[in-house]
Amino acid sequence: MSVFFEQYFDFHIMGEHFWEVFDAFLQNLLIFVVAGIVALAWGLLLAVVRQTPGRKTGVLRFITIAYIDLLRAIPLLVIILIISGGVPFLTFIPKGIRIPEWFGKPDPFWYGVAALVFVYGAYMAEVYRAGIEAVPRGQMEAARSLGMSHLQAMRYIVVPQAVTKIPAPMLNELISLLKDTTLVSFIAFAESTLVSREILAEQLNSSALILTAFFFLVICLPGARLVDFLIRRNQAKVTRGAHIEVG
Amino acid sequence: MAEPMLQLKGIHKRFGNLEVLKGVDLDVAKGEVICILGPSGSGKSTLLRCVNLLEPPEEGEIFLEGRDICKGPGSGTGEQSWNLDYVRQRVGMVFQQFNLFPHKTALQNVSLAPQTVLGRSKAEAEEKGRALLERVGLGDRLGQYPETLSGGQQQRVAIARALAMEPHVMLFDEVTSALDPELVKEVLDTMRELAGEGMTMLVVTHEMGFAKEVGDRVVFMDGGVVVEQGDPKQVLDSPREERTQRFLGLVLER
Repeated sequence: MSVFFEQYFDFHIMGEHFWEVFDAFLQNLLIFVVAGIVALAWGLLLAVVRQTPGRKTGVLRFITIAYIDLLRAIPLLVIILIISGGVPFLTFIPKGIRIPEWFGKPDPFWYGVAALVFVYGAYMAEVYRAGIEAVPRGQMEAARSLGMSHLQAMRYIVVPQAVTKIPAPMLNELISLLKDTTLVSFIAFAESTLVSREILAEQLNSSALILTAFFFLVICLPGARLVDFLIRRNQAKVTRGAHIEVG
Repeated sequence: MAEPMLQLKGIHKRFGNLEVLKGVDLDVAKGEVICILGPSGSGKSTLLRCVNLLEPPEEGEIFLEGRDICKGPGSGTGEQSWNLDYVRQRVGMVFQQFNLFPHKTALQNVSLAPQTVLGRSKAEAEEKGRALLERVGLGDRLGQYPETLSGGQQQRVAIARALAMEPHVMLFDEVTSALDPELVKEVLDTMRELAGEGMTMLVVTHEMGFAKEVGDRVVFMDGGVVVEQGDPKQVLDSPREERTQRFLGLVLER
């Protein structure tokens, strides 16, 4: 049994590498924050385009649906590898974009962010869509009968109500996104998983990985509780027949 | 005769295989109040929704203040072939389920569209909104959200909201049907005042008393066509058509 504890819970190794792994975990958080914010916006844009009426936007709608289906069907790791292993060689793209090193971050950081945004944008678009479809039809009709365009009605009436209906599923996506930032380790970006693996290889000891797992737990467990709380609160509101107020 | 405010010619509307409107003709003069009666499924709500192009008809023509707002058969069915802006800024609509914006206060409900659609300043739109809410007797409820208002109050906010766009025609789609009986009067009073001020109104309703008192004309619809129309007292008290008699018999029996 002591072998088990030494392999996974060697407090000496944990202590020795604590700040190293912690700093690397901050990189995970940074990817999460950047990719999360952009994906939330990108997903909303996709969802709104998907919901446009009329023939004019038919092609655009088709492309959007195809994009959402495709990106949800391909494994995230494959997307990360496709981007990082190909984009640097597309010489028709300006170098500053093809090999991005913005804000002092190396190019794997940005390839990872891009892959996460592309994939999670598609997932989040489906969450937004559920929210939009949960807003009663009469809201759109009332807005349109007052002379608002479809986009104005979406912006002022439908979307503000839609986002109040989806905090729980959206938070699930965000938790999932945070965990998936570890996949960026595959393209040699020094985030917590990569750093702990290096320690594992050096010391033949898994304690640094347990430390990484612990950091994720600290963030994700309260998140999961929050999801439950939001779902219960939402159900209570639905049963009372009241709507959810936007802050 | 003066040019009619609104002219419907041979309006057809289908939902899939179901033909809801089978050629409806109707002329509405400026300032006229028309009450539309009929059993459920007779197409009366659909007719209203055709007038402001929420449900554009497949066939027929609609003239609003002399302008063809809905090109006849054979023309494109895309939104660009309808004069949506022209129509929606001239035709106001009030719904059975109120459809107030739940995330906006009463005043915001009334002042939003004038800002986004007509480009009015916030101050201007809110001043007008305040006056309109005052006019429907809700001057003390400006900051309240719809869920804190009674059904009757919500419906009066909805009327004020439609009036804020300065419509030339108002459509009322069974606006008292979702209300508790004791709240019906306040909404009908508001509509009565509006009629008194010369607003052109198309009112789909089951309120026979209102139709008789306020209506200039009653239109009875059944099966997607206008069965009978005329002076409210004549149609309601001594209908000529057998279908009208049967409907009124059933309604008055209650």
